[in-house]
Amino acid sequence: MSAAGSSNPEYVNARVRARRGALYSDEEYRKLVRMGPAEIARFMEESEYETEINALGARYSGVDLIEYALNRNLAKQFDDILDWADGRLYDLIARYLRKFDAWNVKTVLRGLYSDLDRQAIEDDLIRAGEFDERLVNRLLEAGSIEEAVDLLDRTMFGDALAEAYEDYEDTGVLVPLENAVDRAFYENLLDGLVVDEATQQYREFLRAEIDFRNARNALRLARSGAEIDPSEYYIEGGKLFRAAELSTLAQNADELVSRIRESSYGDDLSAAIDELERADSLIRFERALEAALLEYSDTLGYVFPLSVTPIISYILAKEREVENIRAIARGREAGLDADEIEDELVIL
Amino acid sequence: MAEDVKPTRKNLMEIEDRIELSERGHDTLEQKRDGLIMEFMDILDQAQDVRAGLNEDYERAQRTINMARAMEGDVAVRGAAAALKEHPEITTQSKNIMGVVVPQIESSRVKKSLDQRGYGLLGTSARIDEAAEAYEQLLESIILAAEVETAMKKMLEEIETTKRRVNALEFKVLPDLYDNKEYIEQKLEEQEREEIFRLKKIKAKKEEEEKEQEEAEKAAAKEPETVVADD
Repeated sequence: MSAAGSSNPEYVNARVRARRGALYSDEEYRKLVRMGPAEIARFMEESEYETEINALGARYSGVDLIEYALNRNLAKQFDDILDWADGRLYDLIARYLRKFDAWNVKTVLRGLYSDLDRQAIEDDLIRAGEFDERLVNRLLEAGSIEEAVDLLDRTMFGDALAEAYEDYEDTGVLVPLENAVDRAFYENLLDGLVVDEATQQYREFLRAEIDFRNARNALRLARSGAEIDPSEYYIEGGKLFRAAELSTLAQNADELVSRIRESSYGDDLSAAIDELERADSLIRFERALEAALLEYSDTLGYVFPLSVTPIISYILAKEREVENIRAIARGREAGLDADEIEDELVIL
Repeated sequence: MAEDVKPTRKNLMEIEDRIELSERGHDTLEQKRDGLIMEFMDILDQAQDVRAGLNEDYERAQRTINMARAMEGDVAVRGAAAALKEHPEITTQSKNIMGVVVPQIESSRVKKSLDQRGYGLLGTSARIDEAAEAYEQLLESIILAAEVETAMKKMLEEIETTKRRVNALEFKVLPDLYDNKEYIEQKLEEQEREEIFRLKKIKAKKEEEEKEQEEAEKAAAKEPETVVADD
């Protein structure tokens, strides 16, 4: 409910365990990959997503209905978790869920940048973060990017956005603002995190997420050939790279790959690295990184059953479920066959 | 047609001039048509390659955008697209191929580097990069195809026009001119023959008259002189 008060992991874990049981099983995924978009929506209506499908059914249809229903359900589930949590537990969960605040800020900025109307921006928001309804509504009513940046002054994105706004004014592109928002989120993940036995693994997970993000970005930069300083995109907090190293490694993709192979993630990512070297596909590497993170998060759930870790594990599993259903629906819409879709899914 | 022409020597000379000009024009147009066909065949080969490339690029672009929408979500893909500021621009110039003016399309800001696409790097994935790259490539192919296919259509139109002109000269204008020439020549010959005949007739008549006069004079000379008595 708030960061005040004492932590209540027992209560939240009990509630989350029930929610975890409602996630789709492998068997259900196997059914879903053989359905068309309309059948998937019908299947979802008979499960956890009933309220969202019924609420949005009049406005959207087909895969859009599925995607918006998934996003709304995800927001509701995570909002519930933040409502249940108190004290330190709330802070630990909110750290990760602020990624949706970052998403919403970027969505509003992009909407304002491309002159979209309020409804179009609002439809794309995922209200799963910490921002309250009032702030989100004020952001939606902002008439300009400058006004939106001012409104975010008191949030964790405030300083970074104010600093990046000058760059935005100089260049006229959203890149500095978007990067500032994402950087603020990632750097806030580990900022002031008190580490004890129970949160040790959580910290390792967050570090891995930062390391993987740094590795992905460095590889993207190395491949794009764009004249960008990789250290500008470096996120502090990981253990795999330092800013100065990343600048050098981004010049040489082979060296970067061998560095990842030799790191502590080497074993977990060996399949991904092989794929990257063999197929020269960054996408497959990214998917392998996601699978490695999910596998790691799954182990989080069993080590300290009454800490934040099972909750984070559920959050990641829920995110993955949403991504998988969306992938199935969009894949079916695009005419991909069941095997191709199954190949793209990340399921534990 | 031929009956409409006055069979005069002046017209005959004019028609002979026109025949000479039309034959020269026919030869030139035939050469132009053959030249255009050769140029067209070259452009056709190029257009076929470009079209095949365009289809491949389209398939690839559709596939990457479908995958990006599937894996990242439609909202994320639309969001990344909304961040674009520098839209591609095209400028058109023209060039001349054997008298046919065809467009030359120059594009700018189609292919962009990672930092020019407008979306942040930290919050997006390689799938969006790949979709953006595939669409940039598709756009370049479309622009090239537009240039080559417009040139091809213009060449084809010009070939058709030239072919129609060659055919008109070969099967209509020249045969008509030859008919007219023949008609005038025949008429003129006929007139000449008539003239000769007429002259012969006049000559014969004149000779007859002269002969009659001569005979009359002779007869007058044979009659005895009559003396008239004085009172």
